[in-house]
Amino acid sequence: MLYLMYLYRNLVRNRLRTALTCAAVGLPITIYVLSMAVVDGVNRFLDNSARQLRLAVTHKTSIVNPLPAGHRAKIESLDRTGRRLVSVCGLRWIGGKIERDPRPLSTIAADKDTFHTTFPEFRLTPEEIAAWHRDRQAIVVGSATAAQFGWKVGDRITIHPSVPPFVPFEFHIISTAPNAEDPISNWFRMDYLEEKLREVRAPEGLVSFFFVKCASSEDLNHFRTAIDDLFAHSTDETKTQDEKSFMNEFITQQFDLPRNLTILAAVTVFVAVMAATNTMSMSFRDRINEVAILRSMGFGRWLVFGQIQAESMLLCLVGGLLGALGPYVAFTYTPLKDFTVPLIQYLEVRPAVCVNAVMISAAIGVLAALWPSFLAWRLRVVTALRNLE
Amino acid sequence: MALPLSYNWRNLFVRKLSTALTFTVVAVVVLVLAVLLSFAAGIRASLARTGSPGNVLVIKPGATSESTSFLLPEEVARLLQTPGLARGKDGRMLLSQEMYVQTSIPRRHNGGNMANVAVRGVDDTAFDVHEDVRILEGRRFRQGTLEIIVGRAARERYQNLRIGSEVGMGRLGDRKFRVVGVFEAGGGALESEIWAPRTILSDSYHRRFASSAALRLSGPEWVPAAVSYINGPTVQLEARRETDYYRELAAKTREIVVLTTILIAIMGVGAVFAVANTMYAAVDGRRREIAMLRTIGFNRRSIMLAFVIESLLVTTLACACGLAASLLVSGSRQDYLSDVTWTVLAYELRVTPGIAAAALAVSTLVGICGALAPAVRASRTRVIEALRKA
Repeated sequence: MLYLMYLYRNLVRNRLRTALTCAAVGLPITIYVLSMAVVDGVNRFLDNSARQLRLAVTHKTSIVNPLPAGHRAKIESLDRTGRRLVSVCGLRWIGGKIERDPRPLSTIAADKDTFHTTFPEFRLTPEEIAAWHRDRQAIVVGSATAAQFGWKVGDRITIHPSVPPFVPFEFHIISTAPNAEDPISNWFRMDYLEEKLREVRAPEGLVSFFFVKCASSEDLNHFRTAIDDLFAHSTDETKTQDEKSFMNEFITQQFDLPRNLTILAAVTVFVAVMAATNTMSMSFRDRINEVAILRSMGFGRWLVFGQIQAESMLLCLVGGLLGALGPYVAFTYTPLKDFTVPLIQYLEVRPAVCVNAVMISAAIGVLAALWPSFLAWRLRVVTALRNLE
Repeated sequence: MALPLSYNWRNLFVRKLSTALTFTVVAVVVLVLAVLLSFAAGIRASLARTGSPGNVLVIKPGATSESTSFLLPEEVARLLQTPGLARGKDGRMLLSQEMYVQTSIPRRHNGGNMANVAVRGVDDTAFDVHEDVRILEGRRFRQGTLEIIVGRAARERYQNLRIGSEVGMGRLGDRKFRVVGVFEAGGGALESEIWAPRTILSDSYHRRFASSAALRLSGPEWVPAAVSYINGPTVQLEARRETDYYRELAAKTREIVVLTTILIAIMGVGAVFAVANTMYAAVDGRRREIAMLRTIGFNRRSIMLAFVIESLLVTTLACACGLAASLLVSGSRQDYLSDVTWTVLAYELRVTPGIAAAALAVSTLVGICGALAPAVRASRTRVIEALRKA
């Protein structure tokens, strides 16, 4: 108890310095938590992609080159039983915006008949699937997008695409896909897109890429090469990769977010260590006489060592806890939880990331106190006392 | 009366390790600041130098950029009525229809990974419309042939774009185009592109329509009239001053600046602590010295000033060192993939005077903030007590 009292007194002795140190540790921890939450989100997104046993087929020369829609039948012909190759779905991205709103949408046209078999994780109900087949203007909007724009099932929306045909599309929302891993993208029927393309005489019969759903991971590996072999030396050669590498390519091409954010997190933690080390050695220097007196009164060197360590760790833990709690609360309980990040959608600050951050702040505390506590440990009482003021 | 500067200078070498650590911390902060901002400055400089204020760029309404736009022939025909449209020396209307496609070319650095390079198909008029485009080496391509010219930045950044080499392009990547010239465009974004004859490119990429049109007007004063004509009911396309279009592409660099500001603010707090620690150590070690100075007539203010100057000496030198280190990367060429055009833009990292000023401001602020508390403590040294211990 006495030791705890001593610890407390020491911390409140210079309140400004204590608060500043807390901030100096807490702020970088906040940045750390936010960056790691994004990295964590990207990884979960990629892991989900890997679980789906899907292949992405793009044009060999460049992803921006479209593929002929006719490739689908040829891919399907690789397995006529349908037991190994579940379904093939052609997709075409049209992006889009709604009238008088600058927020970009991610809207994708999908083959009408294979959409729900290729993306079973959406878990559309039989009624929704029936509505999708019945209505050529049907659209499945992402749950986050729906929440953001205040859309609900039954609404009619108009989307202006960012690519040809550049004419407004009218859609009827049939589902908000609450189970989809990707809560941002909106999916509509390819035949409706083709109809609009015909209106403006833009090229038809092209898709951006195909998604191929396989039955097992052996089939996935088999078709990865089989599809490319099928189109080798044809006029439109393909590049087939699993969904995870396909998505990863997208991510790294842009800003390489996971890598750069990890570097950012490491730099901020380094800065936190630096700041904490400096405060700890400052406060130790202030108190060197006290330490000398304590030692001369008979307190052991390990006790003094432990005291400085405990003080530093407590200070950093409080800073780290506040720093981690801030974003956790903000992104779990406040309106910020609807904040969306491109690609990974919701920024979910998971407790695991926060616990990690708090552990790091404890480590910062230990590191910061290492030198001062060592100095206290090896302090020669006589020399120190001689310098007493 | 102030203390001589040499006093401060020599004091820095009393506690070599502590001074060196602070120096390093501040230099690293400045280096990070300068390098991060040089990315933004490089991209901006490149895009700011693109386009001419008397040119108008026309794309399809709703298209995010040239890469997603297409213009029908009748729409282009309506553009011929644009007010202020200039005529070239040979009497041709200065309206350049352009086809914007992409091709994958390996980079010369970064392990040769593929970059999406923009390929612009143009007619001969384009060289009169984009007047800053000049052939540096070789010659222009001839219309109707499989010849291309490459931008200066593209040649430096991507493999196999020297004069005489062949590049596989087209939708199937099977058309061999020969490089016959290298062009410059005043350091602007066009230098990251490959230019080819439009008709040949149209055939190779199976695309019938032009993506965009660039119009040269008789003068910048015609731009408002031309824009309102093109955006109006007669044409119904989207026209923008060419320089504005490229400036908007630079919007992404704002994110870099914001991120840098946050990062530097946090690192700055760390640096302030480092400076404060060093200065406290200096003050504590010099109690008697300070008392001595006070006795021989230096007042509190000059003592305080001495410590602030001492800290500023360290931080300013560190700032200079950090900036000098950042100059090593300045001028090196990078490229980034725009998420608007989906093509790469090669640019030079630039440490501008503005960045140097920002770095100096940060280091000065860190120096002053860090030294203030220790300096106040130094000025409050009790003369008698401190001297008694001597």
